Amino acid sequence: MAKNILTRRHLLKTTVAAGATGVFFGPWKYNRVYAAGTDKPIKIGITSDASGQYANSGASDRRGMQMAIAEFNAKGGVLGRKIESTHIDTETTPATGSRVAERMINREEAGFLIGAVSSGVANAISQVAQKNGVIYFNTNSSSPTESGKNCHRVKFVWDGNGANFAKAAVKNSIDRFGDQWTLLTNDYVWGHNTAAATRALLEQYGGTVKEEILVPQGTRDFSSALLKIQQDSPNVVAAAIGGDDQKALRQQVAQLGMGNSPAWINNQQDWPDVYGLPLDNLFGVFGTTWYYKLDLPGVDDFVARYQAMYPDTRMRVPGNVFYNGYMAMKNMLEAIERAGTTNNIAVIKELEGHKMPAGERMQHHDAWIDPETHQVQQSIYLATAKTGSDDKDDMFEILNSVSPDDVRDTGASEACQLESYDDTPTFDA
Amino acid sequence: MTQLVPHLFNGLTLGLLFALIALGFTLIVGVMEVINLAHGSLFALGAYFALAIIGGGWFGETALGEWWVSLPVTPRYILALILAPILAGLAGMVLELALRRTYGKIPLYGLLLTFGAALVIEELIRLGWGTGEQHLQLPQAINGAVLLGGLIFSKYKLFAAGFSVLAIIMVWLFLEKTPYGAIIKAGAHDSEMVRALGYNLARLRLLVFGLGAGLAGLAGVTMVPIWGLRPHVGVDVVIPAFLIIVLGGVGSFWGSVIAAILVGLSVGLTGAYAPAWSMMSMYILLILVVGFRTRGLLGKKSALEN
Repeated sequence: MAKNILTRRHLLKTTVAAGATGVFFGPWKYNRVYAAGTDKPIKIGITSDASGQYANSGASDRRGMQMAIAEFNAKGGVLGRKIESTHIDTETTPATGSRVAERMINREEAGFLIGAVSSGVANAISQVAQKNGVIYFNTNSSSPTESGKNCHRVKFVWDGNGANFAKAAVKNSIDRFGDQWTLLTNDYVWGHNTAAATRALLEQYGGTVKEEILVPQGTRDFSSALLKIQQDSPNVVAAAIGGDDQKALRQQVAQLGMGNSPAWINNQQDWPDVYGLPLDNLFGVFGTTWYYKLDLPGVDDFVARYQAMYPDTRMRVPGNVFYNGYMAMKNMLEAIERAGTTNNIAVIKELEGHKMPAGERMQHHDAWIDPETHQVQQSIYLATAKTGSDDKDDMFEILNSVSPDDVRDTGASEACQLESYDDTPTFDA
Repeated sequence: MTQLVPHLFNGLTLGLLFALIALGFTLIVGVMEVINLAHGSLFALGAYFALAIIGGGWFGETALGEWWVSLPVTPRYILALILAPILAGLAGMVLELALRRTYGKIPLYGLLLTFGAALVIEELIRLGWGTGEQHLQLPQAINGAVLLGGLIFSKYKLFAAGFSVLAIIMVWLFLEKTPYGAIIKAGAHDSEMVRALGYNLARLRLLVFGLGAGLAGLAGVTMVPIWGLRPHVGVDVVIPAFLIIVLGGVGSFWGSVIAAILVGLSVGLTGAYAPAWSMMSMYILLILVVGFRTRGLLGKKSALEN
């Protein structure tokens, strides 16, 4: 019979081994505390697209974030710590977004994640971020689901969404153009949600959807849809078509000269998608969150800083995507500064309900972060193509600005269920 | 019925454009048995060469450049239509020289090399022309809209479809009515015999690859005024082109043309009546045809079927 004697040496060895294992595999939140140090740089993972459908917007988004980081580092960083950023291409692909987020958190040790243009990618990143408790800023994707059913405690959404833009445009357009509408919808999550928001508002204001034409993502030939629209003759076409599909659509509508009749309501035109194109490609009324010619204090200086930092960029002036990237990063760093710590829960609490004066954001109305949905409530601008301007960069004519209260996405508030603080892993970055 | 006719017409024009896209691809696959995954990138390269020619980008901000852009668009466009495919063809020839080391080895090497070349070409485009959306200027005569049967059609799309017909006929005449075409076809049938007869097989392959790449470039110049121009525009090309040659029967010229028209009609009609299925319809068509006839519409019978 084998003896099983517990010696003091055995006990000591077992205790040390168990302790080491506990430190290694133990509650992740504590490990992260040990990894952080006050003299270490704050590491930020930039999760923007450098390839695929949104590569161009992703580059603009990134430039905005990097300008904010450069400005903070120039004045000594945040809490005495330098800001370091790492970028990995999310390829406009949700699966890649998940992989990149995992790598950013577990291998690059990023304490914060930021960046997205595609809502599918943003959703994928935010699921990983929530699992790890890492604060994630969705800078430029605009599906209502991002601050609705796919909201998370760690995620903050900086762009206006489809429901905001629809609210800004629908009533005005019914009065002006008529109540018979066709919806031209990209057949994926952002398109469906944006079209649903438009449909609900249309019905609320007495309009009718004559037809909804679902267009698969990746469509390059819109001739069938455009023929159908001609056969149906609606008063208004509300298009929720994004990315390269939208570029192909614009070109084909311009070739047919259909830009004015019927009236077109395009949800949002991102600056990188339209910059440098002929004006007839910019048909209809569309939404944006910012324009470089807004007659507001600080705008000219912002444009000058952009031009000084990026003298060789093809886009000579910043657009809405750059602006969102910059503002999101700036507010992330300011929130850490106000919190006085990089503890994620403290920073989240600092961001929830945070008010941003109109002057600081170079918009017409004060903005704030909705504590229920984590979406930035901000001014929405309706614009159209500006004809007759000598300045090639001055492509938009801003028609009006709508206050955040008037365009609030109430559907998102109903759909969003944020995780509790207790269910969110906590750590110091 | 009156509602259907415009969509049939639209599907036909779309099919002719697909045929133009697949033409160079089918030529290279049929003759050389190489699946050229860089076809889309050569398509994009052709379009960017046209952009440089029309916009005078290669002259820079010089007096010559200013003079060039002051010329009417039409002569610049015609020059681009001729020169850009030739330049894309030359790029294709360089690629073929690199491909030679893969001949006689497992097909995966050729696939990997052309895939790598596609990535390199796309990055070179980004470096040369930037990542943003570009616009190819068109002559006024083929731009704008035309009213047919009370509906608006794009003048340019009709021009592009007509041009595709012309390109198809020209390639067919080249293959069928010239001694070069006869040698190419013979090379596809029995390359060893062609070599034994004293023809330089290496030069023949170089010519075919150059021709296929040139046709990809021509399709690029023709299609981007409809699809828009961005560095990854070629990504949209490879899958339909591949699908069309499988559907038509690998190596069959007319099989590809007929398959392209069928794909155009299915995409056009579903686009009107079941738009959510418009992209899927081409794959369903492929499954239906290949399910009953594995060699495609006009493909040669395999030895295994005897």
